Amino acid sequence: MADETQTTDTAVPAEIPKHEQLVDERLVAWYFLAALLYMFISLSGGFLMAFQLIKHNPLNGIELFSPGRWRMVHTNAIAYGFLANAFLGMLHWVVPRLTLRPVFDRRLSLAIFVAWQGVVVATAVGLLLGEAQGLEWGETPVWIDPVAQLGLLLVAINFMAPIMKQKGPMYVTLWYFVAAFIWTFLTYAMGNFVPQYFVSGSSAGAVGGLFIHDLVGLFVTPLGWGMMYYFVPILLKKPIWSHGLSLVGFWGLAFFYPLQGIHHFLYTPIPMFLQYGAVMSTIAVELVVMTVVINFFGTLWGNGRQFWDNMPIRWFYTGMVYYFLTCLQCSLQVTMTFQALIHFTDWVVGHAHLVMFGVFSMWLLGVMTYLFPRLLRQEWYSQTLCEWHYWLSAGGMLVMASDLILGGLFQGWSWAALQPWDASVEISQPFWAVRVVAGLAILGGQLAFVYNLYRTWQLSKASLTSLGGSSEPPSVDRKYAD
Amino acid sequence: MLIVTAVLAVLILVPSGVGFVNKLFEFYGVIKGEASGAFAFTPLVNYLLASLGFLCLMLWAIGQGMFHDIERPKRTMLETERMLDEQRTSEVNS
Repeated sequence: MADETQTTDTAVPAEIPKHEQLVDERLVAWYFLAALLYMFISLSGGFLMAFQLIKHNPLNGIELFSPGRWRMVHTNAIAYGFLANAFLGMLHWVVPRLTLRPVFDRRLSLAIFVAWQGVVVATAVGLLLGEAQGLEWGETPVWIDPVAQLGLLLVAINFMAPIMKQKGPMYVTLWYFVAAFIWTFLTYAMGNFVPQYFVSGSSAGAVGGLFIHDLVGLFVTPLGWGMMYYFVPILLKKPIWSHGLSLVGFWGLAFFYPLQGIHHFLYTPIPMFLQYGAVMSTIAVELVVMTVVINFFGTLWGNGRQFWDNMPIRWFYTGMVYYFLTCLQCSLQVTMTFQALIHFTDWVVGHAHLVMFGVFSMWLLGVMTYLFPRLLRQEWYSQTLCEWHYWLSAGGMLVMASDLILGGLFQGWSWAALQPWDASVEISQPFWAVRVVAGLAILGGQLAFVYNLYRTWQLSKASLTSLGGSSEPPSVDRKYAD
Repeated sequence: MLIVTAVLAVLILVPSGVGFVNKLFEFYGVIKGEASGAFAFTPLVNYLLASLGFLCLMLWAIGQGMFHDIERPKRTMLETERMLDEQRTSEVNS
């Protein structure tokens, strides 16, 4: 199975459209650049919060930039600024190439791009002005929610149009993407409208729990895995190990993920059978994750060297290892015994960072590492900077997650021993200091990436100029594709 | 490959599904027996609506033959990618 490369029984049309007719490369690049901008805003928010915890808040006493508000900017900027923009850029590349049809309307794509940046900026401004909605990750001010909801509908229409015209069996990536478009729309509506206008008290809490986790599992996860099922085979130049197994993973996610969010509210007044249901479905999802991870490592089997030689593959598989660890961690930490120790501690913060940066951001940075040279028709200015980007990001993430997870255990033990709250804050100081250092490493990695991108863009511009303004330089970077 | 897929599907989906259905029956029991059962109705309805939609989608996909020749799409995808890239490279080089 691992060496399966025959293509004789494929159903590819004899003539296919040109790449230029399918993909709006300019828009892909804009989305990626917007994503990187918001990543720096998110990192800034994270640093301010980190400095606050070690008692060195540089903006102390300024209400507009109070830590609570910056923290919300930090989480929202990474979800709706970085991840959403980067995913939208990726979708504009992947969906047309997979379906051999352009998106529904390129003008709509452009309108969505502009509108989405407006939504993200308005969210940040609203949060800083104290307009937050009282829901983790759903803090977007209420007056933005309808606009964001409409935007998600338009995104679904724009990408579903080419997918729905597909004939015959669909590739697993498209299954994941279709689900993501539907789920994201429904999840956003559930989290932002149901607790705000329809239910209250513990019912609203339960819906809030579902929203927090479904945003990870039903928006980010299907887009992330769909993306991996597309890029990994292309970069390894071999099909995924088992397409059937990949569909088991997809349907497993579809049926077991939606209920698990309530595990965020264990030991609350929410009925215990619902809490146990969430625990069980979380453990079931871990088994589903196993099938996905086995499938990808089965694909890599025999090509292990690619992990070191092919930078995007290294990003992807590092993210997969982190993903497996986070899911394993998740299936343990949702048990009632474990939860009693780690609830409200930095263990959860470490876990969240491992998921959002260690997995999905790393995958997206890997995709950017692969696609920017193709978009700019220019190899990376410096491979060394690419290496720095990877090692500072992956290493910084490992240190940050380990540090926060360990610190969380100490906090939990301190509370379990009925120590005063202040004692747990004091024992946390070394862990929070290490977190700042790890964050600096991650920031350094991203700065290396952006500098490398800037120099690569300059090279690309010079190359185009030397060709007399031709839109097509003489060679396309094939380093990672071949 | 089909055997591996089937074995994994049975090992994973059946026990998980049984446990899950069991919990749904418990839920029904609570709704019937306790006044506070309705308390948890909202999140469950959210889940059931989402799952029902995906159950319908799966049945539709089966009816459309989406799972026939289940390994073919992975080869089709690579082939179209190769053609797109070859087309692009030849144009750029010319």
